[in-house]
Amino acid sequence: MIAKWLSTAALIALAAFVAPSAQAQGQTPNTAVSGTITLVAYAGIFQDNYVATVVEPFQRHFPNVRVNYFPGGTSAQMLGTARAQRNDPQTDVIIMDASVSMIGNGEGLFERLTPADVPSLNELFPEARAAGGEFGPAVTFDHLVLVYDTQRVQPPLTTLRQLWDPSLRGQLGVSAPPNIQGLALTVMVAKMEGADYRQTIDPAIRRLRELAPSVQTFDPSPDGYTLILNGAIRVATGWNARAQLIHDQSQGRLGVLLPPEGSVYQINTINVTRGGRNRAAALAFTNYALGQEAQKAFTERMFYGPTNARAQISPAALARTAASPENQARMIPVDWSWMATVRDQWNNRWRREVIAAGSR
Amino acid sequence: MSLLRRPGMLWLALPATAVLLFTYVAPMFGLARMSFNRTLPGGAMQPDWTLATYAEMAADSFNLELTLNSIQLSFTATTFALLLAYPVSLFLFRTESRFRSLLAIIAIGPLLVNGVVRVFGWIAVLGDRGLVNSALLALGLVSEPVRLIYNWTGVTIGLTESLLPYMVLALLAGFGRLDREVEAAAMSLGARPWRVFVRVTLPLSLPAIVLGWLICFILAMSAFVTPKLLGGGRVFVLATQVFEEAVDTVNWPLAAALSVYMLVLLLLFLGAYGALTRRVER
Repeated sequence: MIAKWLSTAALIALAAFVAPSAQAQGQTPNTAVSGTITLVAYAGIFQDNYVATVVEPFQRHFPNVRVNYFPGGTSAQMLGTARAQRNDPQTDVIIMDASVSMIGNGEGLFERLTPADVPSLNELFPEARAAGGEFGPAVTFDHLVLVYDTQRVQPPLTTLRQLWDPSLRGQLGVSAPPNIQGLALTVMVAKMEGADYRQTIDPAIRRLRELAPSVQTFDPSPDGYTLILNGAIRVATGWNARAQLIHDQSQGRLGVLLPPEGSVYQINTINVTRGGRNRAAALAFTNYALGQEAQKAFTERMFYGPTNARAQISPAALARTAASPENQARMIPVDWSWMATVRDQWNNRWRREVIAAGSR
Repeated sequence: MSLLRRPGMLWLALPATAVLLFTYVAPMFGLARMSFNRTLPGGAMQPDWTLATYAEMAADSFNLELTLNSIQLSFTATTFALLLAYPVSLFLFRTESRFRSLLAIIAIGPLLVNGVVRVFGWIAVLGDRGLVNSALLALGLVSEPVRLIYNWTGVTIGLTESLLPYMVLALLAGFGRLDREVEAAAMSLGARPWRVFVRVTLPLSLPAIVLGWLICFILAMSAFVTPKLLGGGRVFVLATQVFEEAVDTVNWPLAAALSVYMLVLLLLFLGAYGALTRRVER
């Protein structure tokens, strides 16, 4: 599944395969498309890096197009914006979590995309295309990691199972469901216990109940990385891309572990707003964002896994994503549309069985 | 003749009424309308006129738990705020110090600081490595940090503090009936200070207490920031559930239905307050 295509990605990247069409896309300024588009995506370091590695290069390739980057908050807030503007869209392209864009697709807020409109679709991993169905495909892959304080967790964290170590009692920050980190952790713990999460999560819930007394907060605010760096906790759940960046910014204080027991992908899709004011420019931007140049630049800057199979990622950056040969075998496939059907049930079990066991 | 019955007086209320209509009443109708939409299995929202979301809400026993949690938390925090604010307010009302205004500003000063910042302040004070735990550990009173945040204790402390300025303001506004001469009369007839307080001061300040308690109870019921940030994912109340349904699970009809339910609940409390006030005034 996803591991397979990431394996292919790594081989393709290492073989330095170059598609002529992409080279042309990267080098020839296109003046035929013009106007202004509004891109809605995440704020903070995502915005800083996406503007530098994707938006600005795009504007150099399409000098007559101006991209306004609007930080849209969470994926749910972006969906709210799209819902509110359904009859008069003010946005053209939205990057959001696949579990939320799926809802927008169901409500007819986003356009169906074809290779005729977006040629880069032909270069994507099949799973990246499948993440959006006929609609906007995956533009980044991320995955759940354990982040820890390298100064206060000795020896360094090497397995998921170590979370149950008594020395970490009261030192954990775990994002509980409905946060997707909590859902992903449930899948990982189920696998650790030898269970198939699609059949039963009973073994996972049993183990998580045992973990609950060690958890200081089930809702780390503002996030686990910050709580670790200010010394409030020692270990937390997090997303790889941000964790890798903060690892560098903190000179290695924040450690990042993709547990050998496995991890789960988080997928961001890129979506063209239905009825947007500048469809041609929106499609051109989407095509560029999914293209080899943008995928390579953003992965090497922020360590999101690429969704373009032909993107030539440097081996050093690739090793810090789930696309590296070593990491890809650890990934556990999750169908987020299936997850949407069991999320409430899992959420209730966490509240009644896991969090309740950790009340102090 | 009542002020409002005078010709032209109603026009004075028009600007505020118009603003309220646009900023409060219209959105509330929008919210109520949203609650009748349908959520499809994949999460997509379908415009509809259905009571399915209310039926789902009523069938989930967790919502009753949330209601009881909200009432218990609000009752506790409001009562603590009243107990702490009453002596301060009485002092501020009675003092003739030239620093009275300054003291009043200090009492309501927390309102000048953003609520989120105040909560993060509490995290710094009550956290494992915060001021309180550092002092307890330094004095040898405990061997490991006492958990004061990310649980009900932390939320109750934070909420009580956030309600205090409102309680002080409400009490100061409601102390109008307190008359020193009545207390002096009681003392001249031989009543001791404690008896004067219980038999004269307290009954005369009952309207202020009821007013302050109600305002703060309503604020506590709808408080979101404190339970969310200080609760550590362990404190489930109606306000946090509305946020979760709106932002995490993106089930807007359910979030809207829960909001309407909260509104009805608060209206019921207001009705009870009206009845209680009439009884106190009699």
